[in-house]
Amino acid sequence: MLRYYRIFVISWLAIVFPLAAAAETVCFTCHKKEAFSGKVVHQPLVKGQCGSCHNPHVAHFKGLLEQEGSALCFSCHEKEEQAFKQGMVHQPVRSGQCLACHVPHASSRNGLIKDQLSETCFGCHTKLLPKFQYTHNPYAQGQCYSCHLPHQSVFGQLLKDEPDKVCLSCHNSQDLQKGHVNYPGTLRDCLSCHNPHGSSRPGIVRDVLHAPFAQGCKECHDKGEIQGSTRSCLRCHEAVATGMLARHSHLTGKGENKCVACHSPHAGNEKNLLKGSQLQVCRGCHSDTIARYENKLYRHPKAKEGSCIDCHEVHGSNRIAMLRGDGNAICSRCHETQGKFTHPVGEKVVDVRTGQMVTCVTCHLPMGSDFKYELIYSGSKDLCIQCHKRY
Amino acid sequence: MRYVKNMLSQSALLAVSIFMVATTSLAAEPWAWKATLDGAGSGQAIVMPTALYVDAERQRYYVVDSGGNRLLSFSREGTFLLAFTAEGKLQIPYDMVRESADVIWVVERGRNSLTSINIKAKEVVTHIIKDGERVLVPDRLDYKNGIFYVLDKESGQIALLGSDLALQKWLACPECTSGFVDFKLTNAGIWALDQLDKKVVQFDAEGKLIKQFDVGQQVEFPVSLAIGPADNVYVLDRHAADIDVFDPQGNFKYSFLAKGWSRGELYFPIEIVFDPWGGLCVVEEGNGRVEVFGR
Repeated sequence: MLRYYRIFVISWLAIVFPLAAAAETVCFTCHKKEAFSGKVVHQPLVKGQCGSCHNPHVAHFKGLLEQEGSALCFSCHEKEEQAFKQGMVHQPVRSGQCLACHVPHASSRNGLIKDQLSETCFGCHTKLLPKFQYTHNPYAQGQCYSCHLPHQSVFGQLLKDEPDKVCLSCHNSQDLQKGHVNYPGTLRDCLSCHNPHGSSRPGIVRDVLHAPFAQGCKECHDKGEIQGSTRSCLRCHEAVATGMLARHSHLTGKGENKCVACHSPHAGNEKNLLKGSQLQVCRGCHSDTIARYENKLYRHPKAKEGSCIDCHEVHGSNRIAMLRGDGNAICSRCHETQGKFTHPVGEKVVDVRTGQMVTCVTCHLPMGSDFKYELIYSGSKDLCIQCHKRY
Repeated sequence: MRYVKNMLSQSALLAVSIFMVATTSLAAEPWAWKATLDGAGSGQAIVMPTALYVDAERQRYYVVDSGGNRLLSFSREGTFLLAFTAEGKLQIPYDMVRESADVIWVVERGRNSLTSINIKAKEVVTHIIKDGERVLVPDRLDYKNGIFYVLDKESGQIALLGSDLALQKWLACPECTSGFVDFKLTNAGIWALDQLDKKVVQFDAEGKLIKQFDVGQQVEFPVSLAIGPADNVYVLDRHAADIDVFDPQGNFKYSFLAKGWSRGELYFPIEIVFDPWGGLCVVEEGNGRVEVFGR
């Protein structure tokens, strides 16, 4: 047994080391070495181990790569593969697109980061304004990592810690207390009033103020038993109360006041006082749904742009998935002709598998599918024979 | 000789491996479709059923047809018996229990009421449940030994109400940041499911917290739970459309079922219930039916 082991080790050493050393000379006879140099160089390249990622002869993937995307990176970075599955995961990481932020060979920045850090972030986060009338200092300096983690986090928005703790990592709590003279109670929940990137108001207070907040804290915080409860919101927003009592509703979630799961009671960046972009707010609870569909080949444009409310009610609905209408009405708002011809749909058309009404969503999955037209199964045959068995 | 010995030991290893793989795959799919409770017998499809109540004494299934504003009864064999509408008075029924031969209680979403219906007297009485000034939003409902167990959707806590509907006690998860979406009563106490924290919590009969465990590694969007005959915990995943099974200590055992529209597949499932005859019943809101699985 020992003899076989010895032969194996000697053979392995004989194969690996000459090839590694040869890479220095062989690969760079054609590929200019200067193109692979920089302040920070990827370790396999330093060691001349081009073969750890590339196959010199033939490969399935572009660039003669042995594997594609993160699968290649994780063949060495094993610990990261496990760590990057925990909590909220940054979209490029989920999609295995390490090269969205990193370069594979050499960079002027630590961690083989592309370009200037903030430029890397803004490359995808195009809706973020580069500058505000009042801009938070770390944001102005492009120090996204001051508050956010790049890969994953157990906290929303990939924050490094709980939001208040992130703020207190730079801001002295005593100084903050002095700046909030009439604050009712202990200072907390900074993001309820402040935009951490910037705003048009001094103190980076969010642009749109909730009317009662603009009039002072007492409007809500002096009401005794209803202070801070869902009911305190519904006193004014009566129409929302009806939705909350529907078959399915968002009368759920964390804390005594369900409204503040999505809305700030004080200030916001837009009139609905949402606690972030629509997709960010929805992802707070529905991260599984977003992750399931985001990499599908075919997606409805509204799903792709993260505009959930185009099809879903936000407070409550008597329909499945809190849709704004039944599976026909909701689609024919835009796809006018589709409700009138093509495959029969409507109350008189029954899905033979379930006895339910045939609607657009009997065949289509607008959230995302790997089949053209967001079909549930392949349109060439598989979809039709679900019901039309004889064909 | 050594070669033969090696070959024999390798063959034995291979045989054991095949046996292990075979038994594992058998264990992974131990449930088979047995019956479907749907609206065919009533002449009208069930629309968005939300709950199933099993009456062990009368050997009946009752399906809450939330979209059709009906309660449908089926025999133990799955034969349709009767559709009950309380003379058209039900408004989005969501869950139900049978207190006695004549009286049933229904959670009505449309009226935010815990409604009592005396079938014999044809009397329908709505009850708005309150804790002081706060109006509860009844969601899941069960009844045992003169106590109503009502899940309050707003607080995510379970309210224990006496037969006069007076609040006796609240059951909450002290370490959960979210609230319960379902609970089940067993002889050993009460099991509850926290949706956003993806946590299963067990209370004893007195309401004292006994244990809790996370199911988040396996479950994406838990919506209902049921406790099996061996005290295994079955968690229904609405979005993944499957059922994940855990032992009483919270160790994951296996998953079964998958998304689909055909027999034995799930689409927007909303509740799971064990019947007293060994069946595991899954209420499918999306497919408008209840499927009963047996071993």
